[in-house]
Amino acid sequence: MVRRRPALVSLLLALSLVLAACGGAPAAKTGSPQQGQQAASGGKTIRVGLVTDVGGLNDHSFNYLADQGLQRAKTELGIQGQVVESHNQTDYIPNLTNFAQQGYDLVIAVGFLMTDAVKTVAKQYPDTKFLLIDDQIEGMPNVASAMFRSEQAGYLVGALTGLIEKQHALPNLKGRDQVAVIGGMKIPPVDAYIAGFQAGVKAVSPQTKVNLVYEGKFDDPTGGREVALSQIAQGSDILFHVAGGTGTGVIKAAESQGVYAIGVDADQNYLAPQTVITSALKRVDVATFDVIKSVRDGTFQPGVHWFDLTNDGVGYAKPVAAVPQSIVRQVEQIRQQIIDGQIKVPATVSQ
Amino acid sequence: MRGATGRWRAALIPLLAVLLSLLIGAVVMLASGYNPLPAYAALFVGAFGTPFNIATTLAHSVPLMLTGLGVAVAFRSGLFNIGAEGQFWVGSIATTWVGYAVGGLPPALHVALALLAGAVAGALWGALVPGLLKAYTGAHEVITTMMMTYVAIQLSHFLLEGGPMQAPGYTPVSPDIRPSAFLPLLVPRTQLSAGLFIALGAAVIAWLILERTTLGYRMRAVGFNARAAAYAGIDVAATTVLALGLSGAFAGVAGAVEVLGVNHRLYDSFTAGYGFTAIVVALLAKNDPWATLGAALLFGALSTGASYMQLSAGVPSQLVDVVQGIIIFFIAADAIIAWLLRRSRNRKEVAA
Repeated sequence: MVRRRPALVSLLLALSLVLAACGGAPAAKTGSPQQGQQAASGGKTIRVGLVTDVGGLNDHSFNYLADQGLQRAKTELGIQGQVVESHNQTDYIPNLTNFAQQGYDLVIAVGFLMTDAVKTVAKQYPDTKFLLIDDQIEGMPNVASAMFRSEQAGYLVGALTGLIEKQHALPNLKGRDQVAVIGGMKIPPVDAYIAGFQAGVKAVSPQTKVNLVYEGKFDDPTGGREVALSQIAQGSDILFHVAGGTGTGVIKAAESQGVYAIGVDADQNYLAPQTVITSALKRVDVATFDVIKSVRDGTFQPGVHWFDLTNDGVGYAKPVAAVPQSIVRQVEQIRQQIIDGQIKVPATVSQ
Repeated sequence: MRGATGRWRAALIPLLAVLLSLLIGAVVMLASGYNPLPAYAALFVGAFGTPFNIATTLAHSVPLMLTGLGVAVAFRSGLFNIGAEGQFWVGSIATTWVGYAVGGLPPALHVALALLAGAVAGALWGALVPGLLKAYTGAHEVITTMMMTYVAIQLSHFLLEGGPMQAPGYTPVSPDIRPSAFLPLLVPRTQLSAGLFIALGAAVIAWLILERTTLGYRMRAVGFNARAAAYAGIDVAATTVLALGLSGAFAGVAGAVEVLGVNHRLYDSFTAGYGFTAIVVALLAKNDPWATLGAALLFGALSTGASYMQLSAGVPSQLVDVVQGIIIFFIAADAIIAWLLRRSRNRKEVAA
């Protein structure tokens, strides 16, 4: 063992020297524009960098959806896309800066945690365009921010819920005419969903009781499960969660008790196919794709972009087959009424 | 006293652990269909390729240096402080509060006061509950420091999520600290602040305390063999409390430097576990203050290079995590085993 060690050491040292020697190459390569497929509009290929927040790509939500939009833009628009995940609050500025330094056309920052970092880096790189998801930055000529009218999505799944309760339209309902909303934290992006949900239920089924609980965290499935079980024990049979990772516990609790859940942000039916009857959607993928397209087409607009039902920026996932078609048709009518402006959806919670 | 050759021999095992991990990481990359050579090249360029990258690497290393020193100091006293993360948090919280709530001070004084607040908060977090419990009831510091970490993190959630330290608006962040409390940047447009000098100074202080003071001598004696130290007239209980307090102070300063030099406010859940990586840093450094600086630099370089590796070589971050995990495993397995061996040997000597 001891005798072998020098050989091993020299091998490893040689390897590390080789690696070190290779060091200069990629920087030189990435400095020049890559020869990819040309964009449909002609000219050079658009390069788009996506920086996730600390949630990472597998968050079943924002970061995942933003990446979906980027991947779609890659295949449909022929742009080049690259993703870097942040592991740490202090990664935001270096990650955004790296993309800007390499001459990327658009850098996408996912989540309000990156607001400060985007403001800092965008000021230093005025020739690079930035897109911030889910927070507002105004007055910077190279920064667009995407905001979502989630209350509209909440309203639609709320109306669906109210109709199901009113008509006892699913098996295993408890008949108590009671549902529950489980929020992560009491912050406006969460409350927008909840406000819409409350209003949606009330509009179609005024006697249905909507319980509201904030679990307190977004990353606590165990806590979410506890809260959900207690709500189910009190008679709720449809649970709408707006609680990120905490919500996976809510869905599991509903599944274990044979009642129903509604997902949030992305279509979460795959988490429990018999249980998650629909999901309130926040189409971060649509926002990402649209802004990438605007950069490619040269029509990029700085400032706040609102995404709502009119531009498919929010919505609800196709309900499971157990939900009667008559109810789905009614919800579709309500959707059209919101688009036409006949229904105004509140964005603040009524307690 | 070990000589120069002894020192090199001591450095050989950690060095081998790192190189071996990189080699296994390369195999994992090959097995997943990535070419390890450009990936590692990108890792290196990302960490040291440009002045900006070097500054970012150093900036990432500073909190690891300080928390690593904290863990190392406790280790030398035979205490496994795995709660540096919590001490880092309370240090950040106290510093942030002094940073925005206290006004009208000249910059040097404001920075000093804010740093002191972080150090004291971290020291109390280490000394009060885990230190006193260990000294007077024997409650194991692995449990108590860890539990205090959860308390610290929950405290920050409470303060920031609609609590007394939340800035106006819905985002769970504190107000910005006053510019008079900013640590000056060493390289403009980077996150590298004068906190680097604080980290280097802290290493000098750690070395002086451990090697040149009676307190350090007592700490090392307790760490080497607590019963023998007690027999020799050393107050083991007081030394234990002081050691955990000192350890916490370093971690608290790490949190303070991160707030004053980089973030300038407190974010909800803003660390990626510096206090935990610090354990590996200290183990890799064999609890030597100077080596701690080097080990922290290595991990700072890995985390900085990892992002660039994903950006430029397209190696997904999951694979980066795998590589880092193998490195941590090798280093931790090696050093933890060595530490346990030494500890059980000490026990046997005492029993005999």
